[in-house]
Amino acid sequence: MKCALLVAWREYAENAKTRGFWLGLLLFPLILFLSIQVPVLLEQRATPVRYFVLVDPSRGLAPAIEAALEKSFQRQMLAALKEYARKNEVPMTTAPGEGAGPAGRRPAPSLADLNEGDALSLETFVAKGGKGFFLAQLGPRLRPGAPPFQEPRRLFQQVKLPSTINPKAEVASIAEDLKPYLRQDKLVEADGSPVQLAAAILVPPDYESQIVRPQSRSPAAGPRPSASAGQIQFWSANASDPRLREEVERAVNTEIRRREYLARGMDAGVIEQVEHTYVPLASLNPKKEKGREAMGTADTIRQWAPSAFVYLLWVAIFSVMQMLLGNMIEEKSNRIVEVLLSSVTPGELMMGKLIGIAAIGLTMVGVWLAAAFGILIWKSGGPSEITGQVFLVLRTSNLVPMFALYFFLGYLMYAAFILSVGSVCNTLKEAQSYMAVMMLLMMVPLMTMTFIPKDPNGPLARVLSWVPLYTPFIMMNRATADPPLVDVAGTLVLLLATTIAALYMAGRVFRIGILRTGQPPKVVEMLRWALRR
Amino acid sequence: MRPENEAADGEALRLRNVTKLFGQFKAVEDVSFSLGAGSICGFLGPNGAGKTTTIRMVLEILRPTSGDITVLGRPSALEVRHRLGYLPEEKGLYKKMKTWAIIAYFATLKGMTRKAAKRRAFELLERYGLKDFAEKPTDALSKGMGQKVQILASIAHDPELVILDEPFSGLDPVNQGVMEDLIRELAERNRTVLFSTHVMEHAERLCERILLIARGRLIFNGSMAEAKRTVPRRVRLETEDDIAPLRDLAEVSAARPLPRAKGQAHGGDQGVLQWELELRENSDPQVILQTCFNRRIRLKSFNQSDPTLHDVYMRLVGPEAKEAAFR
Repeated sequence: MKCALLVAWREYAENAKTRGFWLGLLLFPLILFLSIQVPVLLEQRATPVRYFVLVDPSRGLAPAIEAALEKSFQRQMLAALKEYARKNEVPMTTAPGEGAGPAGRRPAPSLADLNEGDALSLETFVAKGGKGFFLAQLGPRLRPGAPPFQEPRRLFQQVKLPSTINPKAEVASIAEDLKPYLRQDKLVEADGSPVQLAAAILVPPDYESQIVRPQSRSPAAGPRPSASAGQIQFWSANASDPRLREEVERAVNTEIRRREYLARGMDAGVIEQVEHTYVPLASLNPKKEKGREAMGTADTIRQWAPSAFVYLLWVAIFSVMQMLLGNMIEEKSNRIVEVLLSSVTPGELMMGKLIGIAAIGLTMVGVWLAAAFGILIWKSGGPSEITGQVFLVLRTSNLVPMFALYFFLGYLMYAAFILSVGSVCNTLKEAQSYMAVMMLLMMVPLMTMTFIPKDPNGPLARVLSWVPLYTPFIMMNRATADPPLVDVAGTLVLLLATTIAALYMAGRVFRIGILRTGQPPKVVEMLRWALRR
Repeated sequence: MRPENEAADGEALRLRNVTKLFGQFKAVEDVSFSLGAGSICGFLGPNGAGKTTTIRMVLEILRPTSGDITVLGRPSALEVRHRLGYLPEEKGLYKKMKTWAIIAYFATLKGMTRKAAKRRAFELLERYGLKDFAEKPTDALSKGMGQKVQILASIAHDPELVILDEPFSGLDPVNQGVMEDLIRELAERNRTVLFSTHVMEHAERLCERILLIARGRLIFNGSMAEAKRTVPRRVRLETEDDIAPLRDLAEVSAARPLPRAKGQAHGGDQGVLQWELELRENSDPQVILQTCFNRRIRLKSFNQSDPTLHDVYMRLVGPEAKEAAFR
């Protein structure tokens, strides 16, 4: 055993010195960091402002469209303010909303009470004075040294029609004149500098003739002309970013419907009230304790966390397999193995390798987990909401011990395969054909990874759980879905038995293969070595 | 703790009727020999004769199909593996490991403490002129240096029985000399050395005993002097005259002309021939010289030398080796 530990220590120390190990160690947190940070940065910095012209000589719809776009901008503003507050506010000692107004009056809402996804919240936000009011409210509670608030950029910015184009002309003629601008052959002017025109919204004076009503579907019948007279036109050369078009369409139709209500004699105030009327839907989980069935963030995390662990498990097992194979091939091709075998038994050598490489894998996974937590804490500005929830989930579920167990067993099972292959191959090239098979087999859990949580105890999940090759991944994936006991215990026993058998067989192949030179044997021959008495 | 029985019979290694089969192929057949403690023994034989297989069985890397092996008085090399040193035929080192670390690693596998192993590694590297490379990874070493490091790694723990498979291959003449000294020094300290080689000169200079193996069978096991006695002594002479009187001598068992060397066919030496006479055992070459003088055979040259180990080898395994080479 002492020799096995010596071998293990060397494996660990030498692998920990390799560039591949450090690359693997740092690459994962880096990718995680970038995958969180890059979209944010892109959203903040790289998303271009879409400049558009709005031609509506009758001013029939322009106010509605402008108001809708402004509302959308205020929503962005509210979200940005909330994010700013979350990062820079000193944690409150009073309940949200308390102490902001004098006694007796209804307290002024605070940012924490507002939700950018909720129409009423947004209206309150705007009505209270928007950014100015809430920044002032936030002021005293900001931590010292907090950076100034940066207003988000407007995603859609209206510009004036180029002066060469007559705004009074026919819509068709304006469209024709705008084409060079929309094709970016010519630039329009915004705040004194030339910019590219992304879109043009043309509202003809007789657009109302095109309204489709359930009782008279005439304009929609038959194939649509490219731009029939009277139709509202949205011109843009960019088909990949539909956001402006969707905003405009929504605004226009909301306005049209509002007018319809009015035309049918309904009261404007009533309409508004009706529009803001809703009933919330509670998401409940029957598996949870009575009185606490409501689903929260933690439940969502609980459902999806196993997938993250499956991915981690896969990457960890895959990386250590690569290390183990590279290392075996080195010893084999360098003939170091023969000197080793004069000092240690093949069993000790194999055990040492298994332990050393497992330790490397655990170090890697440990660093990854620590880095992931670090990034989460950093991103949420202190140990707050999401991180707290993640910790809660990890503490209250058996995810971490299960991960450790399945990593250990899965690693040993796959390592048995690698040790057999590594012991008979002299070069990586020779090992490739065997590895290709393993790679293919290992792809399955990766493909089912996102599907399993949706139906964690369904037939696919249950069947795959009983395939020992996939047990670690699939059972990990089902970890928080309370799979039947027979699945948990049964697959574990089967996995354990398979791992022991695989290691036993690998030990036999290893003993024979390790001193072999020349062409690697056929799989059938290896099986014969493994099973021969 | 050293086993008493080793000291008692003074034997470092004994093989008794050892046979190894790979399927139907007999790699080693009925080999028996023993090595006295403190001796240097050369293990010779053509490629594929079974040397490496025998060595692997001694080290218990392979198990014999039949027969038994006693290593340092024990029936299993595993029991005494810390007292064995081994340098395999095909040499290799971990490329990224530091030179001292690799020597120390193998020494710790042989039971030395980390600290002692490190000290010993530096000591050996210094003594054998590799001090400057101690902190370098082994892939910075030349082939010869790498091999030297490996030899040092195999003796770092001061083993009692050292088995070296082709220790000289890849070394320059100076380092071959260093290696010979190292082997002699081991023997002086009562360590037993068994080494295989294809270069007979090394064996001739170092060994008291040789083992010759061919086609898996031990065909010679004895002292150097005994080995040389298996080859008849030879006399080479050069003359224009008829050598019939020499052929008739009782001492001469055979006489054959030697092919002319290039360039000798021209010039004034037309008719001069080189002969090689094979003498019977215990014959005195002086008789030949005397006969030439008496029978007026004019000699251009006369050369009498003892057989070399090369002659012994060629005589004993030459045909086998050729056959093996074309197999």
